[in-house]
Amino acid sequence: MSNSVISVISRFLEEYTTTTPNKLKVVDAYLLYILLTGALQFLYCLLVGTFPFNSFLSGFISCVGSFILAVCLRIQINPQNKGEFLSVSPERAFADFLFAHTVLHLVVMNFIG
Amino acid sequence: MSLVLTLAGVQALTPAHYLSLSDVARLQTLLGQEFSSLESAYYSVVGLTKLGANVPDHNDVCQFLKSQLDPTSVDSLFFAAETSQAISGCEIPVSNETRDILLAAVSEDSTMTQIHRAVSALSSLGLPLTSQEVVGALTARINKEDNVMAITLALQTAARLSQQAELGGILEEIEDLTARLDDLGGIYLQFEEGLEATAMFVTAAYALSDHVDMEPPLKEDQVIQLVNSIFSKKSWDSLAEAFSVASAAAALSSNRFHVPVVVSAQGPATVSHSQPTLQLLVTDVMSQPLASAKVLVESAYAVASKSVILSKAPFTLNDGVFELNFMSNQPASGYYQFTVAVTGDSRLVANHVELKVKVSTEVAVTNMDLAVVDKDQSIGTKTTTRVDYPSKAKSSFTADSHLNFAMSFQLVDVNTGVELTPHQTFVRLHNQKTGQEVVFVAEPDSKNLYKFELDTAERKSEFDSISGTYSLYLIVGDATLENPILWNVADVVLKFVDEEAPAMVQPKTLYVPKPEIQHLFREPEKKPPTVVSNTFTALILSPFLLLLILWLKLGANISNFSFSPSTILFHVGHAAMLGLMYVYWTHLNMFQTLKYLALVGGVTFLAGNRMLAQKAVKRYESFYFQDLFSGFTLLCF
Repeated sequence: MSNSVISVISRFLEEYTTTTPNKLKVVDAYLLYILLTGALQFLYCLLVGTFPFNSFLSGFISCVGSFILAVCLRIQINPQNKGEFLSVSPERAFADFLFAHTVLHLVVMNFIG
Repeated sequence: MSLVLTLAGVQALTPAHYLSLSDVARLQTLLGQEFSSLESAYYSVVGLTKLGANVPDHNDVCQFLKSQLDPTSVDSLFFAAETSQAISGCEIPVSNETRDILLAAVSEDSTMTQIHRAVSALSSLGLPLTSQEVVGALTARINKEDNVMAITLALQTAARLSQQAELGGILEEIEDLTARLDDLGGIYLQFEEGLEATAMFVTAAYALSDHVDMEPPLKEDQVIQLVNSIFSKKSWDSLAEAFSVASAAAALSSNRFHVPVVVSAQGPATVSHSQPTLQLLVTDVMSQPLASAKVLVESAYAVASKSVILSKAPFTLNDGVFELNFMSNQPASGYYQFTVAVTGDSRLVANHVELKVKVSTEVAVTNMDLAVVDKDQSIGTKTTTRVDYPSKAKSSFTADSHLNFAMSFQLVDVNTGVELTPHQTFVRLHNQKTGQEVVFVAEPDSKNLYKFELDTAERKSEFDSISGTYSLYLIVGDATLENPILWNVADVVLKFVDEEAPAMVQPKTLYVPKPEIQHLFREPEKKPPTVVSNTFTALILSPFLLLLILWLKLGANISNFSFSPSTILFHVGHAAMLGLMYVYWTHLNMFQTLKYLALVGGVTFLAGNRMLAQKAVKRYESFYFQDLFSGFTLLCF
């Protein structure tokens, strides 16, 4: 049982390392980073308390928002999805990503108090 | 004048409004003003005549009429002729042209007002006219001018015509107009055109009905509702309105069919042993007594017990006032409901009246016994002190934790000796020093003996445990009592065991300003220890290290970075935006930020557009760090 799970996972990792373009791996690393940051903030909130609640909110919202935007970017620049985003070049996707980030962080900064 | 008249809503309706003597006097004053024109002379003189008042100086009026008369005007002739009819010995000269002008006005081409005035003038001046022709003209005009005022004028005109003429068609208009009256709450009946229209309709309807000797198609309730609406207004706007009210009052008090009766009590409807007769005024709507009437009590019953005390008892007429010695029936004090019938004339309307009559009496306090009783023993063992009204007990009584103060008395009717239980029987204790007062209700027992016992231990909260000398008062009151009693019976010394600190301080503090309310900011919560927060700061920063390591492993690099101006500008712009975000956090407000952001963002956008356009040809590897940083900046709590 555990063997099969391990084999599935190792197979998955192998597939991932070989077939995924490097560009996407960079984005994935970024996603992991955001995920961990958000999780740690949440952990802090659980263990210590929510005291500067607005700060917690803005930090967490920043993580969630960044994660979603990065996922969107990843979807759009994935070569496998090219057929779906014919009119969206990777550069365009990146520009959108940056613009959305600017707006998101305007909101986040507003919250941080 | 206060009258206790109850309108039995379900039963017969009775007039709620009529002209009282003062109303009639005011109406006369208004109508008796100096007149300035033929029209005002007509309203004034004819109005006063309708009220039965004297018109002064017939000769002066006659002179005025003759000087103002315009023999070519139908209106002028009408006012002059009608006014001269109302005073004696005044003849208006008539020429042949005048007669022709008046006759010419009687045609279906003239307005209803013109026809009415011409016919009235002809009739008053004693000139001949063909009634049937007038009926034709009136019928034609009614079809053209289908409004209340015009039809009312037609009715009035028809009343001046020969009884042989065919007046049936016009007579039917009374019923049609009655159907147009608006009912207000079942109490008022009126035309929406106003008081004048309603009053003139009543005048005209009775004038024509009297003329042809046919009862007008008005029900009794309708007559009373019309009375209510005509006489509810006590202040009249114009001479014409006052005239119409006077005319209606005259019509309603002297016609052949309906005379509404107003029954009111002379003074308050109260009888007692000193004033044993119930006095009623029975009048018409102008407060003129109906001398021919006979007044009878159909029944009288006590409101409380519903027992009938009187039936079929006649009132006797004494100097215009109907009187009944009700006390001869020896009624107990209280309220009585009378049903009074006014007969003696078949024309009377609203002749069954409900009246509420009060029988009042005098009360006396007897057997007032005061005692101080040992709590463990009965009342009989202690000596009691008898006090007589209105004197005060000579010695004071002392009550403490072992001794109760007791009091017993009876209330009797002075005139009959019957025991009474008035609505209000109170015992009041008044602290002579502090002015504080405590009031208790004295309740009668089954034998109507009032007993009041004061247990100081039980009642100490009501006295705030303040010992001292209290004045004891007895208060007896009732609406049917002529002599309410407030009697200082005795002084009582009350001693409370656990006397508290003077409670007098309390009322003073009532008016002291309350402490100012300070705004409380939310208290900041306790911050976690610095070690904890620092650890977490480090923890939260650690994934960034991981990211760098991963990227290095993946071979992310900035080898593609070119040093074209647009690239540099873009990166500088982006860094500036990040910086701006930080400044927004620390210094700026949203609007300032948006202004700067638009500037920096615009430049960055243009540069970025250009750079990405160049890149679009090639593939790019490196990602830009700036935006990634922005996320992590926030994490420092």
